[in-house]
Amino acid sequence: MKPKIGIYGLSGCWGEQINILNCEDELLDIVGAVDIVDFLGGSSVNDTESRLAIAFVEGSVANAREEKELQHIRNRSDLLVACGSCACFGGVGAMDAQVSRPELIKQVYGNNGPAKSWDIGPHKPLSEFVKVDLAIPGCPMESKAFVKAVSSLLNGDVPLLPTYPVCLECKMKEYDCLLVSRGLPCAGPVTVAGCGARCPGYNVACIGCHGPVDEANMGSIEKIFEQKELPMDQIKLKLRTFAAPVLDKERE
Amino acid sequence: MTRTISVDHLARVEGHGGITVVVDGNEVSKVDLDVFEGIRLFEGLVRGRTIEDVTGIVSRICAICSHGHSITSLQTLENALGIQVTPQTRRLRDLAYQGANIESHALHVFVLALPDILGHPSVISLAGQLPDAVKMALRLKKLGNAIQEIIGGRAVHPVNYVIGGFGRVPATDELLVLRGMLQEGLEDCKRAVEILRTIPIPDFVNEPIRCAAVAPEDEAFFFGENMEILEGSKRIKIPVSKYRTLTNEHMVAHSHAKHSLYESRSYMVGALPRLTLNGSRISGLAGQAMKEFLKIPCTNIVMNNIAQAVEMVYSVEHATKIVNELLESGTVQEQPVPYKVHACSGAAATDVPRGTLFYSYEVDAKGLIASADVITPTAQNLSNAEDQLRATVKQGLSAGADDATIEQRLAIVARAYDPCISCSVHVVRAS
Repeated sequence: MKPKIGIYGLSGCWGEQINILNCEDELLDIVGAVDIVDFLGGSSVNDTESRLAIAFVEGSVANAREEKELQHIRNRSDLLVACGSCACFGGVGAMDAQVSRPELIKQVYGNNGPAKSWDIGPHKPLSEFVKVDLAIPGCPMESKAFVKAVSSLLNGDVPLLPTYPVCLECKMKEYDCLLVSRGLPCAGPVTVAGCGARCPGYNVACIGCHGPVDEANMGSIEKIFEQKELPMDQIKLKLRTFAAPVLDKERE
Repeated sequence: MTRTISVDHLARVEGHGGITVVVDGNEVSKVDLDVFEGIRLFEGLVRGRTIEDVTGIVSRICAICSHGHSITSLQTLENALGIQVTPQTRRLRDLAYQGANIESHALHVFVLALPDILGHPSVISLAGQLPDAVKMALRLKKLGNAIQEIIGGRAVHPVNYVIGGFGRVPATDELLVLRGMLQEGLEDCKRAVEILRTIPIPDFVNEPIRCAAVAPEDEAFFFGENMEILEGSKRIKIPVSKYRTLTNEHMVAHSHAKHSLYESRSYMVGALPRLTLNGSRISGLAGQAMKEFLKIPCTNIVMNNIAQAVEMVYSVEHATKIVNELLESGTVQEQPVPYKVHACSGAAATDVPRGTLFYSYEVDAKGLIASADVITPTAQNLSNAEDQLRATVKQGLSAGADDATIEQRLAIVARAYDPCISCSVHVVRAS
């Protein structure tokens, strides 16, 4: 029997489900190797109860309904994989704002909205609620990383994901260093690799969408950015766009 | 006696939504398109961020529309700052939009909507009946992604778009790759047209559709300075800078969602409205397909799927034309247009796969976003979708359809809008 898998999206942009569907060359092979029994984004008939070998979950937890759904997915799955930076780190829904979440709701929906009855608070990563067996970061998760994870997990192995920064991939591609030679605020030194240094390849500074690399020295990169005449409040906002909850945890 | 017909969790759409209809005898007393996606608050989150950072953030509103969000955000900033981009930049952005249109429409028509029409729960099951059609759709989807990847640097959440132009202009060999793929794409479009001929389109609702789209100034179909809304045979022009007079976003009591009404009535944006307003500009295979499949004005909302398929063919043909012209003239490695930060404000609209997307920003003297407004196609379409859902129930009941059939039709109608619920940042869960 083929292993049963489920694909789920909590609050987010659907980027990981889109990137799973973007594995155009491999999609029919994947469907041949596993039985996708629960995938609301792709099917109107779903098995929402039986035991799953692997659950792939994208998006962050934004309200009590999603927390309950996540618990249910965890309870029925042998392995739970967090897909993308929202699931791994909270993502853009968790970024810092000038004002509190209730004030933000007023800014966006005005004073007449029934704001009291809405769930409020920054979005949270899956690991705040359940055990995560594998985290594939990226905003979005790269399609190739998903294919690699599926093939490894089906063979009883855990995929090796990069633990080094974007700079390493950038150097291997022999790109000009944007931080040193162009003076741009590039987050490559503190961001985990896996994207193939996409942004520097387009002369654009890394914005940190794959989240922080292990033991990232945030204090040091902040000082380097300050020398580029960026105000400290903007530096912090910039570096905390995709992974604020996780960076807060590391500081504790 | 009242009873409820509901679709609890709409499948095969981007995001989380459901439909609730309350029927009293043969009268429809309530139709709600509920959305329970988590609140995302982007317009508030970007306040205080730099104009350089904001586009990379708003891109994350939606994966499948990320090129549209990015480029509309940049055009808004460029309008505010008073920057004129080069014709090459405009051409390359137009090309990226064709890629987005091909990818999004191939996905929706053949992977998400077609299973409905042919009675399959999913594309996996559909692949058993029509393997070649599914493979064709995946190839076209891949072509759309390749265009977005080469021009924007990444298919989902592009990295190469910056204020005033591009980080790096695509090289000749990259455009040659696209030319090869587009040639195959054109063959696949011919197959797609063949497949469309064999598909019986559901025809259970007959209700006028009030259409709105960007008024294109030249052959760039998705860009313009004005909006047009069709009232009978009259075209009403509204400058994009005054878009709020069209969208009139307001809160509604029943769903906690902002809705749009123009002069108290709903309107629709998307492929069918675009072709209704501007389809006469289309020629080639897409033009032939349009004549063959679409009768304008169209009063069957399910035909929006067919309009998307016609547009997909148009986009392959138009992309081919752009790539050939760029290869003939050669691309220039130009730097983005420079700018000086100053206090300013601006608006822009473009037509993305699901319809018109509006942006406006106010920028302070330090170059930080003071306020932002984003109105997505799905948010505008919610009111119209509820009107069409109401008509679907009414007409179904008077034709004697049972509740299970009506429930199925409700899902087909909602899906015909290709709703992108993650995208509608204005929309929040109903309690």
